[in-house]
Amino acid sequence: MSTGEFQVVGIRPARQQPEELKKKWYQGKPVVSIVILALIAAGCIGSRFVMTKDPAYMDLLHYNLAPNAEFLFGTDTMGRDIFSMIWYGGKISLLIGLLSAAISTVIAVLFGAVSGIAPQWLDTLLMRVTEILLSIPNLLLVILLQAILGKANVLTISLVIGVTGWTSIAKVVRTEVRQIRNSEYVIASRCMGGGFFHILWKHLTPNFVSSIMFMVVMNVRSAIVSESTLSFMGIGLPLEVISWGSMLSLSEKALLGGAWWMILIPGVFLVVTLLCMTNIGNFLRKSVNQKQSNL
Amino acid sequence: MKKNKVQYIGKKVLIFVISVFLLSLITFYISRLAPGDPLVSYYGDRVEKMSPQERERAEERLGLHEPVSVQYVKWLKQAVRGDFGISYKYKKDVLEVIGGRVGNTLVLGGIGFVLIFVLALLLGVLCAWYEDSRLDRVICKVGTVLSCIPEFWLSLLLLLIFAVELRWLPGSGAYTVGKSDDILDRIWHLILPVSIVVLNHLWYYAYMIRNKLLEEVRADYVLLARSKGADKKRILFRYCLRNIIPSYLSIMAISVPHVLGGTYIIETVFSYPGIGTLSYESARYKDYNLLMVLCILSGIVVILCNMVAQAVNEQIDPRIRATEIMQETEETKR
Repeated sequence: MSTGEFQVVGIRPARQQPEELKKKWYQGKPVVSIVILALIAAGCIGSRFVMTKDPAYMDLLHYNLAPNAEFLFGTDTMGRDIFSMIWYGGKISLLIGLLSAAISTVIAVLFGAVSGIAPQWLDTLLMRVTEILLSIPNLLLVILLQAILGKANVLTISLVIGVTGWTSIAKVVRTEVRQIRNSEYVIASRCMGGGFFHILWKHLTPNFVSSIMFMVVMNVRSAIVSESTLSFMGIGLPLEVISWGSMLSLSEKALLGGAWWMILIPGVFLVVTLLCMTNIGNFLRKSVNQKQSNL
Repeated sequence: MKKNKVQYIGKKVLIFVISVFLLSLITFYISRLAPGDPLVSYYGDRVEKMSPQERERAEERLGLHEPVSVQYVKWLKQAVRGDFGISYKYKKDVLEVIGGRVGNTLVLGGIGFVLIFVLALLLGVLCAWYEDSRLDRVICKVGTVLSCIPEFWLSLLLLLIFAVELRWLPGSGAYTVGKSDDILDRIWHLILPVSIVVLNHLWYYAYMIRNKLLEEVRADYVLLARSKGADKKRILFRYCLRNIIPSYLSIMAISVPHVLGGTYIIETVFSYPGIGTLSYESARYKDYNLLMVLCILSGIVVILCNMVAQAVNEQIDPRIRATEIMQETEETKR
């Protein structure tokens, strides 16, 4: 029994830390998404080897068939084989996504960099212009542009979607550029006679590339969504140009006949692709909440 | 101080007017540049049988023969007086056509918006409360999947399940023919479109609330409150939630146009008689006057919402005012 209030009990034994599990290389990375996306992309690029039928051939004897051994995913109301169309049309959907994301990224980087480097008044003007552009409803803008460019094909529709989807990236680029435009290395490069594009490419881009990467991936995603929505509504790609969206534009007839495969199968491919892209995009975004909660 | 307030409001109004003016100018030019024959929407198929002289007279009557700039000035003069011309397709005053439809869209979008607002808050708080538990993870996964589904496909899917296979809910329109005054019937028709509006946008905002709360929960004041003995519920609801409400309000103000844009697509899928189907039709049939007004109306909503968001931020959160003042002084220094 101790008499004093305090008692020396020696050094407190170190708390047994559970041995930290060594993280495997794949942990915390969206491996599943990458693999699925790669599979879909590979199937679409090599659609020639995957397809069992000619995707554009209208087999009038076998229309509106449910999935069976010959037509793996069934046929649509025009007698085309959905299995072949998925791979063939996926190529076009993915292509439009990549192309329009590329277009909007180029516009955004140029616009953002100019706005970031420009003097105050020009910067304000440019930002006001983007705000007004933002205020035109996207859907209406696309419809209008589409009307000007005439009958839609892969190129015009990528252009339309790309031209309407760059504002948010441009804003991020502008902020980043404004932060670094007065850095010593940028000034030095200017003094040595570096042109706008030289500075943009060599000094500015490496600084903001990580912060817009996430947005670029999301842009691919939203471009695919826009394309399919437009084609579905009948103001995008025509029926003859096969894409996931234009396949779904037949769905009103499919609904009447209860032909679930015509709606479900292209949609599932679409959604899975989008989901994989979202997961990859979220991974690219800087992760937060690493700290322990205080609550 | 009073003078500042007047100046502040005046500046906002000025920006608003300039934006709307530019918006109308841009849409006017784009819509006139677009190919396609507005005469067709007015006269229907008769246009093809018209002789060149008749065509000319028809164009003159509709004022389509003048250069675009003259047309614009004319349009603007009339618009200021509240006369936006007639819809070529419906052959009625544009405002009348829109007035007949706008209520339906407001009901659909309004109910959807309120539901999103409340449910996102609840879901976000729920996820933050049970952070990293199984419930939180399941909700996050389901939410991510839901937010990836394009709204038109979700509509198709639900239509296929509930309207075609099960035949529980109606698949199109805003009411059964001949029952336009029956409120129950209208609600019945609203169930599917509203749930799609909500499902499509819900997770984006709920996830935002969750992340903002989780950031907030890691602040030092939470530790202080804990050490003082406040319990979890009190801290989360009284302190943390209060801190994120301003940014939530401003983001919800910005979200109005997004929700509205979503209803446009859903309306066309369900052939719901609202602004969305109207703008889709007017763009397809080159109904210029109608399209212009619809574009400008949607644009005004966007601009107004952005302004509201800004104002909310400035009024509620003094930090933003402070940073702005700092920026301004910095700029004047330069």
